[in-house]
Amino acid sequence: MLEFYVMLAEGLRVLIAAGVCWLNFVTIDVFFGLPKEGGVSGATAIAQEVEKGGGALHGGYMLGNIVSSPDASAGTLLASCAVYAAGIPGGLVMALLVYIGNRICYDPGYAGTTGCITATFIVYAFTQIGFLATDFIAGMVIAILTIQGLSHVHASRLLATLWRWRSA
Amino acid sequence: MIALAVVAIIAALEAVRVVAERNTMRKLPYLNVVSFAITGSLMLLLPHPLTILACAAYFVGSTLESNAIASTWSGGIRKHE
Repeated sequence: MLEFYVMLAEGLRVLIAAGVCWLNFVTIDVFFGLPKEGGVSGATAIAQEVEKGGGALHGGYMLGNIVSSPDASAGTLLASCAVYAAGIPGGLVMALLVYIGNRICYDPGYAGTTGCITATFIVYAFTQIGFLATDFIAGMVIAILTIQGLSHVHASRLLATLWRWRSA
Repeated sequence: MIALAVVAIIAALEAVRVVAERNTMRKLPYLNVVSFAITGSLMLLLPHPLTILACAAYFVGSTLESNAIASTWSGGIRKHE
């Protein structure tokens, strides 16, 4: 019976971590203007296909940009991994690697690096109140699933709405 | 334990969606979720500081490949006339 409660607690922590990760990366990506336009021609092409399938163009740009370069969502995942292995110093080393990764992928922006640094401190803070860094690794995979993996139509419309608020 | 199970199930589920989706460009976001899940499972299976390098190398590499596939599919680099 005790084992059941331990598993239930871990499941709840993963869900809460997913919510925190989602807020972190969507806020940073929208703030850095990822839904504004495609960073590379491939991102623009993905956005056009998402729009043809019934989605919103600006949300599609953000989906395309997430595919084409490590953005804040990748930064959050990699920061959780790094904090799990090596704490805050690991997270900061990871931010440097994400910065190099952005440059390799022809991305001039700082969304990935910023997301990695903020996630490092957020994940570390949560480990101080009883969460595990592994909760955030699984949580971030759930968070990216809701944006990229369930329904491109609904995700792109949601992101386009957020972008309208941001650019208003 | 649950973390690894969640990540593995999501990877398998999205791999099926990559195969099921007919449109090449719309396959790529699903493939992106698979990359996230594999990066996460790497760290969950091999908790060691050097895995940080492996995760970054794998993730940046897979992103660059998706970037290359998408850009080539959309017409590639425009050559000067």
